[in-house]
Amino acid sequence: MSRYTAGQAVPMGRIRKKPALGETPDIKIPVSEKAGQTLTGWRFNLLAILFGLAGVMIIIQLVRLQFSPERTEFVSQGDQYNRTLHIFYPPRGDIYDRYGRLLAGSTLVYEIGAQVDNVDNPDSIAFALSKVLAGHAEYNYAGYSDDVYSVIHQAQLSGTSYVQLADFVTPDELTQLQSWARNYANLPDVDYGEAGKPSLNGLVYRPRLQRYYPENALGANVLGFVNREGTGMFGVEAEFNDLLAGAPQSVWMTLDPYQVTEIPQLKAGADIVLTIDREIQAAAEEVLDKGLTDSGADGGVILVMDPNTGEMLAIASTPRLNPNEYWNYADVFTDNTPYNRAVSQDYEPGSVFKVLTMAAALDSGAVTPETQFIDTGSIQIGGVTIHNWDWGAWGPQDMQGCMAHSLNVCLTWVAEQTGAGTFYQYMQNFGFGRITGIDLAGEAPGRLKLPGDTDWYEAELGTNSFGQGVAVTPIQMIAAISSVANAKGEMMVPHVMESMVRDGFQYTPTTQIVGRPISAETARHLTELLAKSLEGESSDALVEGYRVAGKTGTASIATPTGYSTTQTNASFVGWGPVGRPRFLVYIWLEKPSTSEWGSVVAAPVFHDLVERLVVLMDIPPDGVLQGSANP
Amino acid sequence: MDNLHQLTHAYSQAPWRRQMYMIGVILLLLVCAAIVAGIYLNVTARAAAVGRQIQEMQVRVYGYHYLTGESGETYVPIEELEQKIANLNSQLAYLTSYTIMQERVKDMNLTPIAADRIAYLEVPGYVDRQSTSLAPPPVPVVVSASVIDPQFKESLFDWVTEQARKTASLLGEAIP
Repeated sequence: MSRYTAGQAVPMGRIRKKPALGETPDIKIPVSEKAGQTLTGWRFNLLAILFGLAGVMIIIQLVRLQFSPERTEFVSQGDQYNRTLHIFYPPRGDIYDRYGRLLAGSTLVYEIGAQVDNVDNPDSIAFALSKVLAGHAEYNYAGYSDDVYSVIHQAQLSGTSYVQLADFVTPDELTQLQSWARNYANLPDVDYGEAGKPSLNGLVYRPRLQRYYPENALGANVLGFVNREGTGMFGVEAEFNDLLAGAPQSVWMTLDPYQVTEIPQLKAGADIVLTIDREIQAAAEEVLDKGLTDSGADGGVILVMDPNTGEMLAIASTPRLNPNEYWNYADVFTDNTPYNRAVSQDYEPGSVFKVLTMAAALDSGAVTPETQFIDTGSIQIGGVTIHNWDWGAWGPQDMQGCMAHSLNVCLTWVAEQTGAGTFYQYMQNFGFGRITGIDLAGEAPGRLKLPGDTDWYEAELGTNSFGQGVAVTPIQMIAAISSVANAKGEMMVPHVMESMVRDGFQYTPTTQIVGRPISAETARHLTELLAKSLEGESSDALVEGYRVAGKTGTASIATPTGYSTTQTNASFVGWGPVGRPRFLVYIWLEKPSTSEWGSVVAAPVFHDLVERLVVLMDIPPDGVLQGSANP
Repeated sequence: MDNLHQLTHAYSQAPWRRQMYMIGVILLLLVCAAIVAGIYLNVTARAAAVGRQIQEMQVRVYGYHYLTGESGETYVPIEELEQKIANLNSQLAYLTSYTIMQERVKDMNLTPIAADRIAYLEVPGYVDRQSTSLAPPPVPVVVSASVIDPQFKESLFDWVTEQARKTASLLGEAIP
């Protein structure tokens, strides 16, 4: 029996009245409720449509923006705030002398700038910087304080976020600035009037490495320097710039912490070990400076080479610049003076060239050391009369006498005996007219006029034989004469790089031979001939206890109106000890004033240098070795 | 048809049950979404914090420093240490530079020795002073010759011999 009667409200879902077959249950919904539901549904539908439309519009706009012409501009605007470009420079490689003494390294310097939004008191910053950087060459001018204030003020007006105020600030100067900043920060908060509370807030710094030369000007002509932009200039710095500098990398550093950009692992620049010996370099520079003072010469060069390997032990040249103060370059190198005369300035070498003329003649068989020549004081060649340096006639001479007395007439005759074709072939084999390939920047090729050139005349054979009318660099001369000095006839490539350290390994190139322009026998004969010549003349170049060979040179200087009668280039080339050569020295003094002769001004320089060289190079005197060999 | 209709009615869920079911599903989805969002937020927040730490360390390498800050930093980037080492090496080189050493020589009343005051001794096996060695020389790259498979170089006779040897070996193992 049912608990409910007909017509009574029954909770739905609980008691179900079974409808009769074919009867459809009649569910009655109140009219008011039905209307309300319809109204609510309509409102919801409208709202849904509106939201839907808004969503569709947003999607359409997003798609439109993706393909709009302004897209790239929006992207670039976003990138400006999302990332910053940084160029990472690897540390520049160091340069060492042959025994590992640092010649060029790196030191910390700082860039000082202002984050303009954080600046509280531009006056304080300007004042502090002007005081602390007063000893800094670049910032010790009167208006620096005003300039700093002006730069910050302009940046504030223009909305610039950062301005650089100083660079190359030393660690000591930075420490002072930090001290000033701390002192200002500790000031009490009182009324400071119109000037405001002193503060260095906003002042920031960034450390970086700068090239540093601990030896200052020592070896400066070999090393070159690194300029403000970090590029190597002159010398080794320029020649091996790519190797030393490594490969900088530009990286966009994102500001999004989810996409931290890795700082690139930079391949550091290679370290370079030079063949230069710091002690020998210092000795060469000191002797050269003394030689310049004693002779009154305008400038000069001293080269010291190991003739067996071509290694340059010292390259001294004037003037010299302290590479730590490279901004003085224009003041030091005036009138187009080359940075390194030894490789970049050609000149007429004079009688030192006779070594090569005689080498060619002996090697070609045109003459022998015993060949006799009767010097009448002049000789005609190509319509030009050649005279000796003293305008005298020296009578019968063998080749040793010709070299000992430096007879132009004899050497002209020797060149004639050799023949122009053979003579110039030898000179080309000696490397004249082209660069030696020394690993220093800015090498000059010189000029060797050859038969067939429009400006070559027959008389050139005569003048060239004693080193006039030919333009050579000191490095070319020493490279050519290395074939004589090493007693093997092998011409060595002059070089300053001993080895290179890269990726944890030290690479040492093998010694290179340019060629064998003369035989070993010729080299030995000529060395003996020149040693006897020096001994016969009691030259100032002789060094007690050591047998050396050499030749003086005095060259007239060409001017636009002909050769100067008062100014000369004085030279000397010498090597030793004879029989076991360890050094080859080339000296050039430009326009000496105390005497015009190389034998007077350049030979003593050789003597002074060799006296120090034998000690520095641990070369025992000849007597010691002979005693050792014959106990 | 009516039976089917009645059966459907009989087994239909009550509307309130269906509502509860829907609410439960939605709540479950919401809870799942909240859990996922929480985990996501936690992970991303930690990633952002670590990212910021990395960026701060990177800024020490290439960025700007405040004059009064960073006095008590625990971690110093390798690059900064390398800069300091390079700086110290240069200072050391300056202190041992030729000019400074000459001043010290002068202060100590020392003079360069003259060649004639040097006594030379013959020392068997003495090796002259060698130039500096800052690093080992490069290791020579040894290219090992490729091992050629015997099949490419043995003759027919070799092959027959090898097969016979193998067969004999197998037979030897098989026969006790």
